[in-house]
Amino acid sequence: MHQFHIDLPLLVAVLLASSISAIAIFSASNGNEAFLTSHLVRIGLSVIAMITAAQFSPLFYSRISPWLYGICLVLLIAVFFFGETRNNATRWIDIGISFQPSELLKIAMPLVVARYIASGSIPLNNANIMASLVLVLLPTALIFKQPDLGTSVLIAFSGLVIVFLSGIKKRYLFSAIILFLGCLPFIWKTIHPFQQQRVLTFLDPEKDPLGAGYHIIQSKIAIGSGGLFGKGWLNGTQGQLDFLPERTTDFIFSILAEEFGLIGVLLIILIYLFIVGRGLLIAINSDDLFSRLVASSISLTFFIYVFVNIGMTTGLLPVVGVPLPLISKGGTSSLTLMASLGILMSLQTHKRLIPR
Amino acid sequence: MVNFKSTQTQEAEKSVFLNRILFSSLAILLLGGLIVTRLVYLMVIETDELSLRSINNTLRTQSIPAPRGLIYDRNNQIIAENLPKFQLEMIPEQVIELENSLLNLKDLGILSVDEIPIIKGRIQKQRNYQFKSIVIKRNLNERQMARFANNRMLLKGFDIKSRLTRNYAQGEIYAHVVGYMGSISSNDYQRFDPSFYTGKEQIGKSAIEREYEHILRGIPGKQKLLVNVRGRVMDEIEKEAFESGNNIVLTLNSELQKTAYDSMEGKKGSVVAMDPRNGEILAMISVPSFDPTAISLGLSQSEFRKLSNNKKRPLFNRAIAGQYPPGSTVKPMLALGALDMGIVDSEHFHTCEGEFRLPNYSRPFGDWAVHGSVNTKRAIQASCDVYFYESAVEMGIERMSAFLKKFNLGEETKLDLGSEKAGVVPNQEWKRNNFSSKQNQNWYLGETVIAGIGQGYMLATPVQLAYATSIIANRGYAYKPHILKQINLNNSSEPLSTQSERIDHLMNIDNEYWDVVFEGMNAVVNEKRGTAYGVFPENSDIAGKTGTSQVFNMDKRSGNDVPEELKDHGLFIGFAPINDPEIVIAVIVENGGGGRVAAAPVAKQMFNKFRELGGKKVVESN
Repeated sequence: MHQFHIDLPLLVAVLLASSISAIAIFSASNGNEAFLTSHLVRIGLSVIAMITAAQFSPLFYSRISPWLYGICLVLLIAVFFFGETRNNATRWIDIGISFQPSELLKIAMPLVVARYIASGSIPLNNANIMASLVLVLLPTALIFKQPDLGTSVLIAFSGLVIVFLSGIKKRYLFSAIILFLGCLPFIWKTIHPFQQQRVLTFLDPEKDPLGAGYHIIQSKIAIGSGGLFGKGWLNGTQGQLDFLPERTTDFIFSILAEEFGLIGVLLIILIYLFIVGRGLLIAINSDDLFSRLVASSISLTFFIYVFVNIGMTTGLLPVVGVPLPLISKGGTSSLTLMASLGILMSLQTHKRLIPR
Repeated sequence: MVNFKSTQTQEAEKSVFLNRILFSSLAILLLGGLIVTRLVYLMVIETDELSLRSINNTLRTQSIPAPRGLIYDRNNQIIAENLPKFQLEMIPEQVIELENSLLNLKDLGILSVDEIPIIKGRIQKQRNYQFKSIVIKRNLNERQMARFANNRMLLKGFDIKSRLTRNYAQGEIYAHVVGYMGSISSNDYQRFDPSFYTGKEQIGKSAIEREYEHILRGIPGKQKLLVNVRGRVMDEIEKEAFESGNNIVLTLNSELQKTAYDSMEGKKGSVVAMDPRNGEILAMISVPSFDPTAISLGLSQSEFRKLSNNKKRPLFNRAIAGQYPPGSTVKPMLALGALDMGIVDSEHFHTCEGEFRLPNYSRPFGDWAVHGSVNTKRAIQASCDVYFYESAVEMGIERMSAFLKKFNLGEETKLDLGSEKAGVVPNQEWKRNNFSSKQNQNWYLGETVIAGIGQGYMLATPVQLAYATSIIANRGYAYKPHILKQINLNNSSEPLSTQSERIDHLMNIDNEYWDVVFEGMNAVVNEKRGTAYGVFPENSDIAGKTGTSQVFNMDKRSGNDVPEELKDHGLFIGFAPINDPEIVIAVIVENGGGGRVAAAPVAKQMFNKFRELGGKKVVESN
């Protein structure tokens, strides 16, 4: 039996977000039409990737996950030794095209951890927990060393959240949190000076308004000056006159806030909450553990992306270089994100094929 | 894939999972709420402050300098104007081949080989502002401009821009009285309100340019500009036009000014001519002079040092700040005093034997000639020293200084130029105040004697002498001297004219005493034995008095063997016509020898020019 697998509510939300993305990118690029065209092409490719991903069954994803994970690990190790270095970070590898293996891991991580846990039973025993942790932390450490703090934290989250959802005992959870806090001074010493700087800047951006604090100050000015209704499309001075840096990528939310105001960004937040809610609903309605875990990991990670990005543009969190899902310009990152939404669709639509 | 699990296990798994999903949903709501709270805080509560910061980021207010008012002489001949000076500028981001372009400019004779590395350095320094214009060469001449225009195609990104600079059409002639311009210093901002300046324009540095700065300067315009993060102007939002400065008309007459300057050529000194009927200064020069246009354009350090270290002091305005012993030019005033005080009788003849003796003084006070029998008129005419020695002793220093002060000597004339010196009319109190040692504070009778011929401590400036002469010419009163004639206000068709201010100085003198003084001064010019006799045409309608003030006491040694800087100063004061004076002239020639040889010929040229211009007509034009 052949059926076209697609989740209409998710698709509508994604297309809505993509339209907002086109509007924002056009403004952020100072009305550059060529820039917009290439962005629309990228969105088109990402939507195709999403719909394609929706056509494969959850069983297929479960089966390929160890292989996908293995390939990612090999590539990450390869990056460690032969990677391309740009802006002091070694994240890229050239295999015909230059790309970041860490992006692929965003898909592989929830799949492999979910498969491992679903193959056993829950609640987890200690050996299972340890094994899961190794699965999560091994690639995380490699990405952390590139260095890419933002991505490593989010990838770790996408795996660890599965361990959490499969019912790890609460005292383990608390001891893990305490252990993490205890390790903070050690982590502080391991991260790079520029990362330390970002955290310090986050704590007091006005200390160095033209240097390290510049991004965050200009972003807050852009957002705050938007007010309730915004300055209007293409009328945001912070964006149009180049005061806001990185505004097609990490700081695109500030453009939207400046030009469309609080009303505009609340609408966008609603769309995000809709996507996250839809994903969690898919998870709840799933019949098997693997699907539930994958769907909820994808949804919650998606939410964390949104939270971290908006948190960083509004000065709630340090600047960690996380794009705003579905709206920031991005090549592979938007591709993998959409693909993971495609997997969500797959989980939703293939379930119906199995009669109860 | 999961089918081997029992239903029970599956149910258990699901309940744990749902529990955790519920927890996660709560976390989502909490974090989402945090985000929304933060957004409300920034976009509602803080929005005013952050909007202001956004505006401050992008709006720049720029001032547009206002053109300065022009300065005219009394016949509307231009004295100071604004001329565009042309400079070559370059916008780096528009230049295609910098190296070649600079070489082209060198081949065109616009740049020299030495300038190229300096310019490259300047371009390098400004490399982060590629859109900002850089000045390549200032003050282009016409040939350079023509060559540039012919080769414009080869020089993309280069352009000629103009700026207004002050130009003094008559150059050195007006330098001291009109002044010059310069960059604004912090001192200037203490005197003048900075809000009237953009910082780009120049400010009046001396004389009229400074005295009437507040009238000549305009009000700068304002431009509100939208700039991007690199400061590039994206748009003009608002423009407020500038208001030009007001033009002013001076009382000076360019013809007389030029005559004075030419007749003093190669000399040091000053000429002041004024109208005794209203106090208008008709001519005022100080020589040697300087080129005010060059100073305003900006001299190099070495050029400026050369000018300020020049021993002849070209920058010094002798007309108002040069203090000289007035010499015999005080004799008409002292004669009037002696007559008024009853010390002398104008009909009574005294005998001059060429010297005057005081008891207890071993050396006599010499006269420059043996005059024989002289009365008041003859004493003025032949400038008999002995006659005035005797009168001085009789009068005493206190009465003498009080009387001379009636002619405003020892006091500034309050001419509208600033930096004026007051001169000195000495008396006992003055000596007590100005000498430190007790011994020097005593007044000696001998000092009274030489004060009688305007020597000793007595000092006066040329403008003071001209003013005192106009008090004589008017028989007791004068008008406050001034140089500003009128302001042609921009916002009114009615010019604002300076009102003449009459000041009475000596109104209780018997008219017949004035007649004696006038006769004496006329005889100086027109009668044999008059000290200026023969200098002027026969029967000139002129009253005058020569003066010779000693720089150094050389007894009777005189002639050509005396070094230049030790020669006497020559002075002349005079007015014409005698019975209805229209012009007063004071001349001082430093180290020029006597008043007759050095100063009287200059005065003659001034009087001649005045006649030639038609007397009254000159003064009452427009």
